[in-house]
Amino acid sequence: MAHIHLGEGSFPVTALIVWTLVGTGLVGGILYRIRKGGIQTHQIALGGIGAAASFAIFQLNIPIWGGIHMNLTGLVGILAGPLLGALIALVVNIFSAAMGHGAVGLIGANTLVNASEAIVAYYAFRSLMRMDWDIFPSSAAAATLGLSAGALLMGGIIVVSGVNGSALPRADLTIAVAGLVGLNMGVAVVEGVLTGFIVQFLASVRPDLLGLVPGDTDQGPTGVSA
Amino acid sequence: MESWKQYGALSGLFGLFLAAGLWGFNATGGALPWAKRSAQALQRGVQEGGGSVVDLGRGVVIAGPIRKGGLLLEFGGLVLLFSLVGIGIYAYVLRSTEGSGGDRTARQ
Repeated sequence: MAHIHLGEGSFPVTALIVWTLVGTGLVGGILYRIRKGGIQTHQIALGGIGAAASFAIFQLNIPIWGGIHMNLTGLVGILAGPLLGALIALVVNIFSAAMGHGAVGLIGANTLVNASEAIVAYYAFRSLMRMDWDIFPSSAAAATLGLSAGALLMGGIIVVSGVNGSALPRADLTIAVAGLVGLNMGVAVVEGVLTGFIVQFLASVRPDLLGLVPGDTDQGPTGVSA
Repeated sequence: MESWKQYGALSGLFGLFLAAGLWGFNATGGALPWAKRSAQALQRGVQEGGGSVVDLGRGVVIAGPIRKGGLLLEFGGLVLLFSLVGIGIYAYVLRSTEGSGGDRTARQ
């Protein structure tokens, strides 16, 4: 559920420019790969549904750990693949910022954070499946690892950027951010378990959506064919 | 891989992360909503706090900026729009692939 919830003007302008450029570079690279490699049509549909689910749950504050929201970016990454998963992160962040949930200036940084969750979850899931893990433990662990990767990136972005108006020395800021990252890792467990149940259910009714059909020559839901 | 190894590894991962979560929860103000916790921790640093980790009495609420900004209708509309578009594309893909005997690769 990592998401930088700071208001407009919280980051120095140079940091905003850097994160926006890096985010733009990531999205540009993904669009290039999709355009070059093509895309499985059913992945577009999964991407649409994933964006709807992620956007909806993004805005719901649940009464755990003081009040947090989930992202479902781990689930989106596993289902739609790393490329479409990253694009969904962009779409969800744009619409969320338009409604005041997250600053417009931080769309680049937040897209990087959420895209990293989808990308890491996808590759962790594929790696664990190759190691002959069952569906539930592999998807739950993959989503948890993906979300914690996003939390670490979020912390890194905040520490590197600095926060306007904060009198904290960099060392104290780092410790405070570490606390936020730690909390996010606890939240990742909750979302990881939820993701595990959803993926296990989908695998039982539509294993083709996960690229788990024997003899399926696709590379799984990467969204791209070579 | 044997199940006990998988679930053992998963339990270890969850245990480690839950411990980190509990430390972060207490070190950043305790039972506070995320936005308030984030702003407070980044402005004032680590502040010990307590409270219940699970507070079911508060229920599930829509994010503050939407709720307080009077954007509930827009939020509902967007969710509905996204859902309809997603389901519509899904139905279209199912119908179009039935006729062609398999999934297709679209190139832009």
